[in-house]
Amino acid sequence: MLSAKGFQATWKYIELFKQGLICTLSLSALTVIFGFLLALVLALCRLSDIRPFRFLATDREGHLRPQGFLLSLSRLKPLDVLATVYVEVFRATPMLVQLFIIYHIVFHGVPLPKFKLFGFIRFDRFLPGVVALALNSGAYLSEIIRAGIQSIDGGQTEAARSLGLTQMQNMRFVVLPQAVKNILPAIANEFVTIIKESSICYTIGVQEIMYAVNAIKGATFSIGEPLIVSAAVYFCLTFPTSKIIAYFERRMSRGDKR
Amino acid sequence: MATSGKLIEVQHLKKYYHKGKIKALDDVSVESYPGDVMVVIGPSGSGKSTLLRSLNLLEEPTDGSIIFEGVDITKKKVRNAKGKLVKLNLDQHRQKMGMVFQHFNLFPHMTVLDNLTLAPIQVKKMNKADAEAKAMALLDRVGLADRAGAYPIQLSGGQKQRVAIVRALCMEPDVMLFDEPTSALDPEMVGEVLDVMKELAREGMTMVVVTHEMGFAREVGNRVLFMADGKLLEQGTPEDIFVHPQHPRLQEFLAKVL
Ligand SMILES: Nc1ncnc2c1ncn2[C@@H]1O[C@H](COP(=O)(O)OP(=O)(O)O)[C@@H](O)[C@H]1O
Ligand SMILES: [Mg+2]
Repeated sequence: MLSAKGFQATWKYIELFKQGLICTLSLSALTVIFGFLLALVLALCRLSDIRPFRFLATDREGHLRPQGFLLSLSRLKPLDVLATVYVEVFRATPMLVQLFIIYHIVFHGVPLPKFKLFGFIRFDRFLPGVVALALNSGAYLSEIIRAGIQSIDGGQTEAARSLGLTQMQNMRFVVLPQAVKNILPAIANEFVTIIKESSICYTIGVQEIMYAVNAIKGATFSIGEPLIVSAAVYFCLTFPTSKIIAYFERRMSRGDKR
Repeated sequence: MATSGKLIEVQHLKKYYHKGKIKALDDVSVESYPGDVMVVIGPSGSGKSTLLRSLNLLEEPTDGSIIFEGVDITKKKVRNAKGKLVKLNLDQHRQKMGMVFQHFNLFPHMTVLDNLTLAPIQVKKMNKADAEAKAMALLDRVGLADRAGAYPIQLSGGQKQRVAIVRALCMEPDVMLFDEPTSALDPEMVGEVLDVMKELAREGMTMVVVTHEMGFAREVGNRVLFMADGKLLEQGTPEDIFVHPQHPRLQEFLAKVL
């Protein structure tokens, strides 16, 4: 049961919440940065048109094969296949399972340095947490980026290419500047999601907000009050963030009606 | 330049979709000399756009060749001046073929002036001042100099299409391809766009025009092609086509549109 006394007891450990807050924010910020970079690579892989076996499409006389295995092989885009498999696997398995696999299998026996970030965050727990979260959000973000790029009318690319712009120049000057408008708010929303999902990292001993809750429970033998405080902290973190995003989203869509 | 003096030579061009079930282009051969205004007519779905888009390889042909200024641009590799086999630079050839689309395809996130100077600056590496001076001069000739700072959404359809024509002209192409440039316009704006095209033809620009404007075909075209079902069924002077049509499909088509 909740009690005023319980909140007073929890308050004594407010320092742990401050540390948890710092940890959660660093975890989420790094996750968004690395997740975004990974997502960009994944999205470009999925949209790329690299077909290494393209030459198999034509027979010895240079005529296109009507059908068959070789024609299918000539259409194979290995980068697209790899990226698609990656995205589907990470979206179809639970975050907790991914986190445990990264921590207990991938990083098992890897001698990570034992220093502490900001004097309290144990790096050997923090790093696997960031890696797992970034790998996961990279999969989701890549779909957002891909959709953003694909939402741009194909006529734009045709016009750019017909003017002699290369594929890269087309992306840089024509497609991405238009796609960013659709992508940025979605990425900001993903940041909010990651702040909440990063709480899962307490299970591998990352000292974020939920870890503080557990620590206080151990000290005060009461879980209700620290849980309520943690919910309040998360809310204060994410609610203003979403409101700020919504504000910028409105401002950007106003730009469309110039 | 080819010694034959031909600017474009299309030989046995084929474009199949769905493993050959749809023959968008079924063995089409045409040629065009500098200064030609070639008008392509035919019912919807007859392959007119596919032919035009194949000319600058926005569409990759299934078979056949397109020789532009003496170079077969459907080949992946070509011999350079020294006789060495090098990779074909498609972007370089596309620069020399301006293209105007039914739906304008202006870049909505850029001003008119930026639309016009993007390719000259990025592709031709012109300096900004020169590119802008050239763009302004051309813009002035189509009567839109005062709209240089506007965004595409602020323009009428006819103005958009005139800007799109100028955008292609800024690259100083050797041939201009028009795909139904007036089909998306309100009737009162068709004239202003056709006038610009007539002016271009008078100046000796080589043009390939897909259009349903039979008046324009008769008046400006020096050669008219009639397509149906992916085949080039008849070609000749405007007089041949409009006064003495031979093929029953052409007679039937003209009876409907004239
Ligand atoms: N990407 C595509 N996939 C499948 N069929 C297509 C595609 N593009 C065009 N076609 C088909 O090719 C034929 C010719 O199309 P098109 O060149 O656009 O005709 P037109 O411009 O004369 O109206 C049509 O039957 C059309 O449905
Ligand atoms: Mg068409």
